[in-house]
Parts: sequence; C-alpha cells; structure tokens
Amino acid sequence: MGQLTLSEYRQLSVADIRDGIAARQFLAADVVEAALTAVEALDCQVHSFLEVTGEAARQAAAHIDQALAAETAAQPAGLGTLAGVPIAFKDNMNLEGSHTTCASRILENYHSLYTATCVARSLEAGGLSLGKLNMDEFAFGSSTETSAFGCTFNPWDLERVPGGSSGGPAAAVAAGIVTVSLGSDTGGSIRQPASFCGVVGFKPTYGLVSRYGVVAFGSSLDQVGPLGRSVADVAAVMDAIGGRDPLDCTSQHLDVKFVAKELLEAGVQGMRIGYVPDFLELDGLTGEVKRACEAAMANLEALGAQLVPVELPNAKAALAAYYVIGPCEAFSNLSRFDSVRYGYCAEAAANLGQQYEQSRAQGFGPEVIRRVMLGSYLLSAGVYDTYYYPAQQVRTLITADYARAFECCEALITPTSPRTAFRFGEIADPTSMYLSDIFTLPINIAGNGGLSLPVGMGDETGLPVGVQIIGPQFKDDQIFRVAAALEAVYAGQGSVSLAPLESILAKTGGDVQ
Amino acid sequence: MKSLAEVLQSWEAVIGLEVHAELTCLKTKMFCSCAIEYGASPNTHVCPVCLGLPGALPVPNRAAIEGIVMAGLACGCEIMRDSMFYRKNYFYPDMSKNFQTTQGPIAFCMQGGLDLELVGKAAEERWDLAGTEPLDVGVAQGYRTHIGITRIHMEEDAGKMVHVGGSDGRITGAAYSLIDYNRCGTPLIELVTEPDMRSPEEARAFLQKLRQIYLTLGISDVSMEEGSLRCDGNVSLRRRGVSELGVKTELKNMNSFKNLHDGLAYEICRQAEVLEEGGSVRQETRHWEPAQKRTFTLRVKETADDYRLFPEPDLAPYHLSDEFVAGVAARLPELPDEKKTRYLEEYGLPWPDAVTLSSDPALSRFLDAALMDEGGAAAVKLARPLANLLLNEVSAWLASPQAPQSLALAAFSPQSLAELAELACAGTLSSKQVKEVFAQMAESGTSPKQIVKEQGLRQVSDVDAIQQVVAEVLAANPEKVDEYRAGKTGLLGFFVGQAMKAMGGQGNPKLINQLLEDALKG
Repeated sequence: MGQLTLSEYRQLSVADIRDGIAARQFLAADVVEAALTAVEALDCQVHSFLEVTGEAARQAAAHIDQALAAETAAQPAGLGTLAGVPIAFKDNMNLEGSHTTCASRILENYHSLYTATCVARSLEAGGLSLGKLNMDEFAFGSSTETSAFGCTFNPWDLERVPGGSSGGPAAAVAAGIVTVSLGSDTGGSIRQPASFCGVVGFKPTYGLVSRYGVVAFGSSLDQVGPLGRSVADVAAVMDAIGGRDPLDCTSQHLDVKFVAKELLEAGVQGMRIGYVPDFLELDGLTGEVKRACEAAMANLEALGAQLVPVELPNAKAALAAYYVIGPCEAFSNLSRFDSVRYGYCAEAAANLGQQYEQSRAQGFGPEVIRRVMLGSYLLSAGVYDTYYYPAQQVRTLITADYARAFECCEALITPTSPRTAFRFGEIADPTSMYLSDIFTLPINIAGNGGLSLPVGMGDETGLPVGVQIIGPQFKDDQIFRVAAALEAVYAGQGSVSLAPLESILAKTGGDVQ
Repeated sequence: MKSLAEVLQSWEAVIGLEVHAELTCLKTKMFCSCAIEYGASPNTHVCPVCLGLPGALPVPNRAAIEGIVMAGLACGCEIMRDSMFYRKNYFYPDMSKNFQTTQGPIAFCMQGGLDLELVGKAAEERWDLAGTEPLDVGVAQGYRTHIGITRIHMEEDAGKMVHVGGSDGRITGAAYSLIDYNRCGTPLIELVTEPDMRSPEEARAFLQKLRQIYLTLGISDVSMEEGSLRCDGNVSLRRRGVSELGVKTELKNMNSFKNLHDGLAYEICRQAEVLEEGGSVRQETRHWEPAQKRTFTLRVKETADDYRLFPEPDLAPYHLSDEFVAGVAARLPELPDEKKTRYLEEYGLPWPDAVTLSSDPALSRFLDAALMDEGGAAAVKLARPLANLLLNEVSAWLASPQAPQSLALAAFSPQSLAELAELACAGTLSSKQVKEVFAQMAESGTSPKQIVKEQGLRQVSDVDAIQQVVAEVLAANPEKVDEYRAGKTGLLGFFVGQAMKAMGGQGNPKLINQLLEDALKG
C-alpha cells in the first residue's frame, strides 16, 4: 500500500479504484490526495473547476477507509459502485455545502440549499465529490466561452475550446483530474464536449436520470448524464445515478445494469446498425470527421454488424424546432432569477420593476439575454401559434422518424460534431455556433439516448473525433453494447482518452514518476 | 346616481363570476409535500419546490385532482379525460417561480351549470324574468334560473405580501415588502361562469350555492374571511332588448356575500350613470371599497395581458381513466339539492327549513342521524320539531361562545335531540322548558328524559288542574277581574303570569291562556 503518483492516478478507471481500495492496494485517502494534487497541478491551466470541495472529498474518503478498516467477515464494508472514485459536477447541479452558479453572475454567491438527486446518488455510491465544473452560462452555448467566470481550455490543445456547454466536465475528465463527471445535455451539451475532449459522454433517454436539483434550461430537453474515459466507467456511473425518483415525475425506472459483462462484452455480431447517408453529406461536416465516422462504421462491419442506411427526413427541421422549444422553456425557467429571494440584486433600483430589469440585465450575460428575449418573443400572443405550435408538431414528426428508423436497426451511428475543437473566438456568430449541435440535438427533440465515443484523432487537425451511437428510447443498453465493442477496436490501436498535457506535467517535475 | 331598481328598468346587467377556492381539505400543497396550514408563522411551510429554488421540480398531488373532479361532477361538468398543466408567466414577488402552474384551453372540468332558486326579496331585484321558470314555494314566490359554468381548472395559489410604509398597504410608495410563501403552491380550483347572471342577488345566490356544494364535498373550508374562497365579478350593461354585450369591468375585493352583492349593485349603477351621460365604460379592473361604498380603478387593461401561456414541460399530460372518474363519482356525498328534495318530499319540511338545513352539512348530518332510527310516519312527525330545534336552539347555541367549534363536537347526540323533539311534540314540555332542557343537555350531555325526570319537569296540560288554578287566581284578584271585564283586556298577561307562577312554570301556556280567557268572559 502506498501513495498514488499523479500519473498513476490519472490512469485509473472506476473499477481500478474500487477494486484497488477493496484489495487494500491503496486507501481512498490516497486517491483523494492524488486527485487534489491533479487539481492543483493541472487545473491552473485547464480551468475546468469553479469550486473545489476538497474537504468534503477527504471526509467521504475517510468514511470509506474507516468502513474498510472496521470490516469483518460478518459485516462487509459494502463498497458502492463508485467507492473512492473522484467525481465532479457541472455547476448547474445542487450540492449542499457548495455554490451552484450555472457560471452566471446572477448566481455567483448562491449557496445550494439542497442536493440534486443525481449528485446525491453519486455520493451514496461512494463517489468523492471534488467540486463543481465550468460550463456555458446556464448551459447556453457550445464552447464554454459564455461562462461568466472565464473559459475552460481543451486539454488536448490549450488554445482551443473544450466544447460545451459541459466543457468543464469534459475537460476535467480528459485532463485526468477526475475519473468521471456529470454533465447535462439539452442539445448536445454532454456529447459535443466529450467528442472535442476525446472522452466518452452519454446522454440517456429522457427520463432515465432524475433532473431534480439540476437547474433547468429546457425542461423537456434536459437530461443528466456521465462523462468518463471509458464506456465501462460511464456505465458504472449510470448504474449509480439512473432510475425513478419520486421528486421528478418525468423520471422512469429501467431494469438494466449497464456495467454487466454480458452487455459490455456481448459484441455486435448480427446487430443491425443504421446510418444516415444524408448526414454524411451535410454542409459543414469536415472531411476528417466524415472519414473517422466512416472508419468507425467499417470497424463495426468488421466486427460482424450489418450496416443499414436509414432516413430521418425531418431531422433537418430539428435545429429550427430546437431553437423555438429550447428558448421558450428557458425563458420561463429563468424567470425565477429575479433578485427577490436570492441571487444578484442591483443596488440602485428605485422600484420593483427597475430591480427586476437592472438585476437581470446586469446579472445575465449576452447569450442568456439573447435566449430569454427569443423565448419571450416566441411565446407572445400572436407569435406563439406561428412558432411554438409548429415546433411541437415537428417534434412529433422527428420522434416518429426515429421510431421508424429503429424498426430496421438496433442502434444508429452518426458523427457527434461536424468538426473537431475550434479555437477561442473562432466562431463568433451565434447561429454558426448553433450549427455545431446539428447531429446531437435531434435526439433531445425525440428523447432518445446517445453516446459520444472517441474514435481516434482527426487526420487534419490531429484532435479527437467522436462518433455518436444512438439507441431506441429506453433501450440504452443497446448503445452500450455497440460502444463497448467499438471502443475495444480503438483501444487496440492505442487510442486513449487521457490528454497527455506534457507541457504542464513537465513543470510539476518530481511528482511525475 | 340612480337606484339599482331604476337602472334595471332600462338596462340589463350581465354578470359572470370567477370563483377561486383553496382545497384546504388537503394535507399538502399542489406540487410539493409542504403542509397547508392557515395562520402558521411566515415561511415555515416552504421547501425548494414552493420557494422556486434553482433546480426544483413539481410533483402533482393526486388528492387535489380528486378534489377538482368532485367539484366538477357536483357542478354538472364534463370531466375531461385528457388535459394538461400550463405555465402562466408573469413577474410578481409572491409567485416564487414567476410563473403560475395552471391549466390551458382544456381544464379538468368543462361545461357545467347550476340551477338557482330565488324567492321573496331576493327575487324582487329582477323584474324581467326572461329565460327563468316561475317558482311557488308556498311561503313565497320567486323563480328558478340556470347559470352555466364554463370551466373549473386547477392551479396553484401565490404567497402573501405585506407592503410596509406605503399608503393603504399598497406596493406603490412602500418602503419595503414582506413575503410569506406558506400559501404559495396551495391547490386552488378556479370556476368560471358564463355571463348568465342578471342581478346582484343571482350572483350572491350562485356563490352561496357553490359554497354549500364545496362544503358538502368537504374539499374546502370556503372561508371568505380567511381567503380560502375568493370571488371576482365581471359586469357589463346593455340596453333592454339589445343582444350584444357591453364593455365589462372586473370587480375585485368582494370578500363577503354582502360585498359581492353591494359591489356589483354599485358597479351596475355607476356604469349606467357613465353610459347615460354619453360616456363609455373603460375595460378595467376595479376595487370595491366597502367602507366608502364605491369602486375605484385598480388598473386599466388597454391591451390584454400576455401571460405567454404554454404547456408545463415538467408535468406530463394528464389522463384520467374511467375507473378513476367512476371511483370519485361513487364517493360523492348527497348534494344540497338532492338533500333539499328529500327533506321536502320525505320529511315534509317547509321550503325555507329544507333549504337552510340541506345547505348546512353539519346541521343536516345531525338531522339525518337523529331520524335514522325512525321510519315513515314517525320520522315525518319528528322532522318538523327537530328542524325547529336545529334552526333555533342549536343554531343559536352554536353561535354562542360556550359552544364547541363544530356540532360534531357537541356533548349531546342526535338521538338526544330527537328525544327532546319528541317531548316537545307530545306537549310534555312547554317551549320554555324545551329551551331549558336543551341548555342543560348541551352543557352536560345528559339525555332530555333524564333531565325531565330528575327535575320533575313536565308541562301540566290537565284541564281540571289548570281550571282550579285559574279560579284561585281570579278569586285572589277581584279588582283586576273587574278592570278586565270593563275593557282592560291587556291584563290577560298579568293573569297568565300569576297562573304560571302558581304552577311552578309547568303549566301549558296555551291551555292557561284559553281557560283564563273563557273564565274572564264570565
């Protein structure tokens, strides 16, 4: 038993940590110290954290170590699925004892008064909470550049964005600061940053994970999900956080164990995997991403799967529908941030109306204001019938498209993002930014689950590329079956999810052994 | 300003009501598990959901849905099997999320109605009886009319605000405001009527009837004082014979039946004056000020409020199964109208007694329990004296400070009251003795027969015994007898008093009166 070095720690999977602690190879306390060292050594460059809850993590680790020390044959310590695993949460998730800022000035000093179900379940499973992670303000964005508290840097290239809105959760995992993290996904906010940062990110079917305690963006689109460096790690987190929650009446029970060997080692022999020929011809899809996606398809075929072309004729309307439904729900969800009960309050206001206006104008950033105004307009009398109602009709059509596609296949494969990570400021026009979610957001509209899996580096940029595996609603186990099989191919080719960060690690000197 | 009667000669008033009732019978709020308690310390029944904290989500209260379905069934509404919750977006500090969860175009209950019966003075307010049915109830005449109900929908209540340092406790000019979120999220059902009422009395009768129904259903304590029943009125005028509607005003702050009537009556007269002077009525919300007996402008609606209503994405669309609706229907108690018919037809009660008793759940429950063991003719015979006891002695006692909060907590049983009615009915006790026995029974719970036995109370109706006392009284007061016979008949009361005194108060007053009069005629 001994201390973990930083480089040892960064390599550990969920199972490595849990088994290592169970086998007394190291203590949970060793894990937490290594993780805090990683925060200190790496996050000064990556800037994925908004708040570090080191003491809480140390206490949780001590708890595990005490339980193990007191363990007898008659009374096993009962380690949870995430025992001793360093985890951190997107900062739109409430964790009592920490702030929940949503990366916004308006909630800069807001203290969580209760704990979100997904966070509570992670901690109950033995996860060690390292803190809260950066994001686009209120999850509006695809680059984490709209955070009021500074950018997060892509661990693969610090001059590039990590994607967004869950840029912090993706970067912290890719940098090896935490083993896993939780993000939220309204239009691609887990999957797109996962692809930019070369990690696995999973958005479950709507309803699989409770949203209680996660600050809402688009209530009918939002879904919580895990990010990790392997399919198995992500599966382990799903087993901890998934299932019905009496506090979220849209949540559902699913009788699946994601980490099961029968699932992750089943292979894809005989599976029918759909692809959308139209998607691969889309304007804006870069050559390297297209080639990487086609290579992944070829790999699946080589593994014994049958590739089936499918059509999603209404998918092209998804972006339009999304930018109606999302802002409408966001407008209403963000109304509660009015400075009356909590949050930033403008001092100079002379009356209630001014207090509302000034607090919100000063507390919200430009992208938030843009979406709130858009939603407010789209829901107004006379306009509602022209946009909101048709958007819901489109939603029904898109949902039906996916259901029909899944009549002839068990999973779909698409690119996750049309391109690899871009440079800071490279995409300044909001509508171009919205296009980076073109492959991910249709399934937020439809409700299906999707997972972004890294499939090596782009042959032009040398940056991580991800493909998206989509499953039928509530058959998310099929996604994991395909993803695990494909992951094994890339692992065999030496592809890793851990960003090297050589320049930073070099500076930490002796710690890297 | 002209009187209401004058105004209604040439104008027709068109009135619709919006009635909010809190489902106070529920233990917990609409979308969270906080307790519902009137008068609790501020902000002691709050949680992340009703405080609108970031990340909180609503979970609907099934019992509240049962409550509104009961109300709908009792008001003759169609129960919509599929409906949804909507968000009504507006900024105000008493609504913690800045949107109210309510219902959209399709409410749980649609298209119902209630029949009103107006008699006597209440009926006189209306001289044009078009669309009504004449009604003769023996003691009075009146009419019956149908009031349509557009919908009853479910929504959540807001918190309460207190504005400190301003004038009239209003927010404008206040130094600061206090908010109590205890009420925030209390389930509320809002009933909207068709504009079918034509007089303030009809509006009052509608609200009274609705209150009795909700009370009978047990879904709300419907206290206008505590705000668990609130009523807004929409009123407009049109010339007699004109079919299109005039511009309406919305009236608020009518927090009693009297205020509802008087507020509407004032507003009708005010509008008539405006119109007769060649002006036009502004579409606006007005506040009834009972102290000044007038309404004043609260806010002007130049454009319709834009609440940006859209389906609540955190709550799935509701589907009510046939089994659910049938289950609620099976649990519906006997409604006031059905009860009234039974009291009229089975017990033969006079119309006013039947109306009053059937509309008071506590009194009618007592009446039915008291008559439970009696059948047919016996029940009919006892029903009237029992009704009298309930409407007089019991009601007066309930209003007194020594009475418990509700009749259900009384020390005496319905059977004891039936016993007392029987004693009164048989002439065993005088009406004065009935009052005495009731007072003792209410205090101790002892049965009337026991009280009568212990205290030797009984009414003497023996003609010979009374005859003897009468003779003694006349013999003892010869001058007074002469005066009486000379025409001072007012002295009868004196003789009755003397005779009663001599009999220890137990003589049958009716007989004493009669025998004295006969003897004095000489």
